[in-house]
Amino acid sequence: MNAKQALAGFRAPDEHGAEDRAWEVVRSAYQERIPVERRPSYRRRAGVFAAGLVLAGAVALSPAGATVGRLITRALGVQHATPALFSLPAPGRVLVAGPGGTWTVAANGSARRLGPWTQASWSPRGLYVAVARGDELAAVDPHGNLQWTLARRDVRDPRWYPPTGYRVAYLSGTELREVAGDGTGDHLLAPRVAPIAPAWRPAHPYQLAYATPGGGVVVRDADTGQTLWSAHVGAPISGLLWSSDGQRLLAVSGTGLTAYSGAGAVTSRVAVARATPPVAVALAPDGRTLAVVLGGSASQVLIENLDHPRTARRVLAGAGLGRAAWSPDGKWLLVSWPAANQWVFIHARGAARIMAASRIAQQLGGGHRFPRLEGWCCDPGGSPG
Amino acid sequence: MQDAAQGLVTAVPRARPGPTRRRSERSLIRGAVAGSEVDLELLFRRHWPRAYRVAFLIVHDHAAAEDVAQEAFLAAIRRLDRFDRRRPFGPWLGAIVANRAIDWLRSTRARREVDDPGPERAGRPDPPSGRYSEEVLEALGSLSPEHRAVVVMRFVLEYTPGEIARLLELPRGTVNSRLRRGLDALQTRLWEAERR
Repeated sequence: MNAKQALAGFRAPDEHGAEDRAWEVVRSAYQERIPVERRPSYRRRAGVFAAGLVLAGAVALSPAGATVGRLITRALGVQHATPALFSLPAPGRVLVAGPGGTWTVAANGSARRLGPWTQASWSPRGLYVAVARGDELAAVDPHGNLQWTLARRDVRDPRWYPPTGYRVAYLSGTELREVAGDGTGDHLLAPRVAPIAPAWRPAHPYQLAYATPGGGVVVRDADTGQTLWSAHVGAPISGLLWSSDGQRLLAVSGTGLTAYSGAGAVTSRVAVARATPPVAVALAPDGRTLAVVLGGSASQVLIENLDHPRTARRVLAGAGLGRAAWSPDGKWLLVSWPAANQWVFIHARGAARIMAASRIAQQLGGGHRFPRLEGWCCDPGGSPG
Repeated sequence: MQDAAQGLVTAVPRARPGPTRRRSERSLIRGAVAGSEVDLELLFRRHWPRAYRVAFLIVHDHAAAEDVAQEAFLAAIRRLDRFDRRRPFGPWLGAIVANRAIDWLRSTRARREVDDPGPERAGRPDPPSGRYSEEVLEALGSLSPEHRAVVVMRFVLEYTPGEIARLLELPRGTVNSRLRRGLDALQTRLWEAERR
């Protein structure tokens, strides 16, 4: 047997299994493909226009003329993506978590694994990270050094109070609980809540919004336990987001977006197609620019300036988009794209630019699971992003 | 928003059943570009085994190889409508696979310089199954990734040394020396295996 014959007869492990798995991915990508580099049809542009109007409806404060922003569509990930994440386009550090553990990525692209934590959240100034896995809540520094730990059943979604980080709210089973930023004084806030991350109200210590299993929103004073207001969205809530001044709360559900004033009055509400439910929202550090990721059969990312309603523009479209996070300077929007195994960076100001990096699961998934984007924060001690 | 969603839906023509005789590659590509999933599957199944083997021989990690080959297919499909159908599909796909496998190795190596070793693997994958496959793998494992890629491109993808030099942006002499060294290592390992 010579070497050439041996190479020709080589068989890799699990060839058939790999073939079947890969075919499913290729087939589904082929079915969802969108023609690229074609001029958008009038009908499609009209669709974007409508999307802008509807999204603006969710956050509109005053009527204004409508414009359609630039349109970017990508089918199976952004072409010409770098083969790996070599750097971030803006300062700060990105936090990810998942089955492969918790990682931070610095602006120069270097990645650091903080540990086997499956959930993570930046403290407001990026000095610490609240982490969780299984029945354990903990705080670590950006080098992964453990600061404190707390054993509670089925811990998830820890969130620091901005801007001080003196409190951490988190879920434990069906309970909403609170602990001081140094790990002391843990106590129950609400016994039965929906499995959605709670949201501290900025500039209003210590008011906390959370969701109830039946599709309700509750805002409660964490110190007195008093319910400040509550409302019923009518569908299970998938996310809660306060504006940076705490004057507006956005409740996201599979059927739409509902905007509340700080006092609990509905300021706007919009239904979305069941086929394209909102899967993520992210508010820029300026408190005015909102990114919405729509999922389902026609997932896309829309950016809306709340001060100039009806100017929503679609900046990315493609199957299987994930979460979004703004850079600390508010210039770049990072969108995770699990289906394409990419991170896409969209320059949201000035000249249109888009950059992408591939193989994120291999770099930050601790194997081959795509990590969940948990935030893009400041350099230690800086302003939160 | 509903309108926008509808605007994004791209109609995919209904796939038609393939004939029983072996279809030409050019015909399959034409069908896949036109929207036939059946033709795409025939094309995929025809080329997957070699793409996966090439990726595995270069990266030596079955999960990474699966990802590399899969991504190469996705990239190839994305560019299918611009593919010159007079050229054979396999070598074109093979070049994408080889380049992506090398990129993967480079990015992994760069990451190791700044990072911890990462999590432990839960278990060992199945060994390769062909005769002498383990020996081939061991012999290639003694080579650097760049040497490995050259050997695989020459003897599995059947590129000429000149084509390899152009694709990997290497001097022709370097390609030849890597081929010689790779083949020597491989042959030595196989002789040892046959003597056992």
